[in-house]
Amino acid sequence: MLTSVLLSIPLLLLGAVLAVALRSNRAAATVAALTQGIACLLVLGGVSPLLRGSSPLELTWSWPLPLDQIAFRLDALGAFFLAWSLPMTLVGTVYAAGYLRPYFSKGRHGGPHFALLNVVSASFVLIYTTQNALVFLLGWEVAAVAAWLLVIWDYRNQKIRFAGFNYLVSTHVGLFVLVAAFTLLHSKTGSRDFAAFGRYLSQPTATRGTLFLLLGTAFALKSAFFPFHTWLPRAHSAAPAHVSALMSGVIHKAGLFAFLRFTLLMGRPDEWMGWSVLAFGALSAFFGVLYTSTQRDLKRLLGYSSTENVGIAAMGFGVGYLGWSWNIPVLAVCGFAGGLLHLFNHALFKCLLFYAAGAIYRATHSVDLERLGGLAKRMPGTAALFLIGGLAIAGLPPLNGFVSELIIYSGLLSGTAPSASRNVALVASAAALAFVGAVSALSMTRAFGIAFLGSARDSSVHPAEDPPASMWLPMALHAVGVVAVGLWPGLALSLLRSTLTLIPLQASVDDVMRPLLPMVYAGRVLAVVLALTGVVCGLRGRASRRTTTWGCGYDAVSPRMQYTGSSFTEQFARVFESFLPALRREQVSTEYFPRRPGHVHTHHPDPVEQRMFEVLGQGEEFVVQASTRIPEQPRFAFAAGLVALLLIGALLLGSGQPW
Amino acid sequence: MVIPSALNALALLVMPLVLTGIINRVKSLWSGRKGPRLLQPAYDLLRLLRKSSVYSNTTTPVFRIAPWVFLVTGLGSAAVTPLLGAHALASFPFDFVWFAYLWAFGRVATMLAALDTGSSFEGMGAAREALFSTLLEPVLFLATGSLSLSSGSRTLSTLLVPHISMGNGSALVWLCSVIALFIVLQVESARMPVDDPSTHLELTMVHEVMILDHSGPELAAIQYGSAIKLYVGASVLATLLNPWAGLGTVATALANLALCVLVAVAVGTSESLIARLKLRIVPLYIAIGLASAAVALLATAWRAGGRP
Repeated sequence: MLTSVLLSIPLLLLGAVLAVALRSNRAAATVAALTQGIACLLVLGGVSPLLRGSSPLELTWSWPLPLDQIAFRLDALGAFFLAWSLPMTLVGTVYAAGYLRPYFSKGRHGGPHFALLNVVSASFVLIYTTQNALVFLLGWEVAAVAAWLLVIWDYRNQKIRFAGFNYLVSTHVGLFVLVAAFTLLHSKTGSRDFAAFGRYLSQPTATRGTLFLLLGTAFALKSAFFPFHTWLPRAHSAAPAHVSALMSGVIHKAGLFAFLRFTLLMGRPDEWMGWSVLAFGALSAFFGVLYTSTQRDLKRLLGYSSTENVGIAAMGFGVGYLGWSWNIPVLAVCGFAGGLLHLFNHALFKCLLFYAAGAIYRATHSVDLERLGGLAKRMPGTAALFLIGGLAIAGLPPLNGFVSELIIYSGLLSGTAPSASRNVALVASAAALAFVGAVSALSMTRAFGIAFLGSARDSSVHPAEDPPASMWLPMALHAVGVVAVGLWPGLALSLLRSTLTLIPLQASVDDVMRPLLPMVYAGRVLAVVLALTGVVCGLRGRASRRTTTWGCGYDAVSPRMQYTGSSFTEQFARVFESFLPALRREQVSTEYFPRRPGHVHTHHPDPVEQRMFEVLGQGEEFVVQASTRIPEQPRFAFAAGLVALLLIGALLLGSGQPW
Repeated sequence: MVIPSALNALALLVMPLVLTGIINRVKSLWSGRKGPRLLQPAYDLLRLLRKSSVYSNTTTPVFRIAPWVFLVTGLGSAAVTPLLGAHALASFPFDFVWFAYLWAFGRVATMLAALDTGSSFEGMGAAREALFSTLLEPVLFLATGSLSLSSGSRTLSTLLVPHISMGNGSALVWLCSVIALFIVLQVESARMPVDDPSTHLELTMVHEVMILDHSGPELAAIQYGSAIKLYVGASVLATLLNPWAGLGTVATALANLALCVLVAVAVGTSESLIARLKLRIVPLYIAIGLASAAVALLATAWRAGGRP
């Protein structure tokens, strides 16, 4: 069975070669979609018994030096990720064929792009099945480079090249950390096999904590956690819509997969690890969602929202870690189930939203919220689908985001932690999650309300119609998933069931879901009532009077007077001023009868990125200054020596060697 | 179970209108007028339902559906609230999460309807509502979460039952939660000192300015929905204050109704005597609620005697 799964790699690579070789774009797209389709069937055939609870598949190839042998092992965790990663990439490829059509008609060859999508799929199979550190790094790197090349599709634009380069640098910083962790593990175990790593990691050694932090940092960079997210908004706004969707929804889930893979290898975690994962996740969700609130660029906004959502998933994992370390099975399963389900849900609605943003871009050539408006009348289909995605990402019932957040809430609010102060910390995290949900609702209301409702803000934007079928079908597919998982969470939880049995605790998804079932039923009732409401409104709204919007007595209203994206969050940004610094440039005339028009320009830069560039820019200066002063002034030399001594001491302590 | 449910449903139908009537009457009395009938809000609703709607050319179906979504979410949140001090129409674990998220859904619907009109005034109202709601959500979760921890129960209808008798600290939890939930009530039902429902200047409104363009049955849905939210908030407070809460006797129900009326009188009085806070001060006012809910949460640990 595993052979057939692995067979999909050469198949996908063959498809990639063909896609590059074929002249016609249509043929390249067809070949890519066809090979991905077959690969999906192969992979789904391989993983479906695993998802139903059969034992892991293993395979070992002997290989000449330097590897000796490569072990592959497909367990329920890998199966869960494979089960949706490949099909979603296929859907993205179909969308790409429609989205890139204007480029094709200008004579651009899309073969390499489709080939790269195939390569990304192949890298998933590699990453999610391998047991060998070097092969894992290979898959990791292939995915990163392929994603970079996908991002710079429009490489003639300097901004896009910069965004791509920024991504490339960040992902390699993560790679260095990962290589460091693997090297450390290799030096301790003398093996590159994950099973050997697991045997070492499950022992309570001094390096265990160091390794946890190293691996956590590497995987957090991959999944764009705060404060490692700075590459993400740039890359997402530069990339074609389907690439943003796949990167955010699917490719970067590999970071969280790897985190869980090493969690399982590590065995029962320490309590501090649980708290740090929970706090890190909450921090990421908090800042990610704050940054979404001020973005003008719709795709940047969605990019920040990825940081928020991986943070929410990590909060779930933190609960899982805590439950595991306290030996409370239901709490542990609850956390991991909520986190994993949220990952899957995020892939569903984030791809939907990016695809819809792509449809807007195709129709208007802009994703700048301040220039859009009133799109719902020209593109009703896209508007409805975006609204579904937006409501789901804000975690509103009865859609899928609510279900996964509810499971995480049920862990945070369970009150089962072993002490009162720990319970207090968990409830405080629940309040943080509630804040994140409310701000997310604000951002999505803003994005949908400004772009789709009201009237057009900029007369130079001429919206076209709803996109072609190859673009709206992927959206509709994702929207069906969003609604289906919201109403029947069992559909998605059945994918998780056997993954959760990998945690050696006596509890299952059913124990977690049993108290939550009434809420699921309530969600269904709500869905039926809302659907009926919609039908009734649709039927009776036709015969009504129409007039202009009430202008409070003023009748020279123009669309320029509408609230804009910036004015909508102006007050909010002022309350959170310290986290959301604003740059303001204005040239306003002070004369009573101004002769030329003034202008005000506001901009919310990413504070982390700004600070990073500042440090990078001034860091060199600082080093130069310090190095010239050390020989001149003995006390600097003394201080430098002290720092060096401290570092060496810390290193020796960290390695756990008696000396 | 049938009789309490029927009584709950009856209260849900009638009480929102009565409470609105009482508030209006109290305000009239304070300003030296005789005031409208107690059931005038009901007549207003009937009149609105008979009218036909006028829609702006700018609007989309979102504008038409949103008021009904607001009403449905209001009803959905009322279903899990112990309106008469003991039983709720429906009660399930973590229904306070459901409660909070339904309120959020209702707010999103009204904000979208406001943005749909393309009016600068309504956009302004939506922006204000959005800001307040983000600050309010953690208050609600901290207050209900600490009550849940302190009472050990996970449903709204049981965690609100006062449990002062349980010893040191829980009185503090109870008191701080009452303060926090009172602020939640004021903000959510768009009452003084956060919002002035009877102002005539659009620039100073929050909730009222968002619904300027609604008319006929849609306006009725929004007004009834707001009244329900007010009643739900008042009965949450009333259950917390009710000494017989959770018993399910006639005295419980009567005490709850009386306390709701008292809350309405308090709202009407404060609306007559206090001026609205500056909009920039409102976040600080909500922060008082946040601080008080945080104290409640910390007090749960104290109640447990700080056991490690």
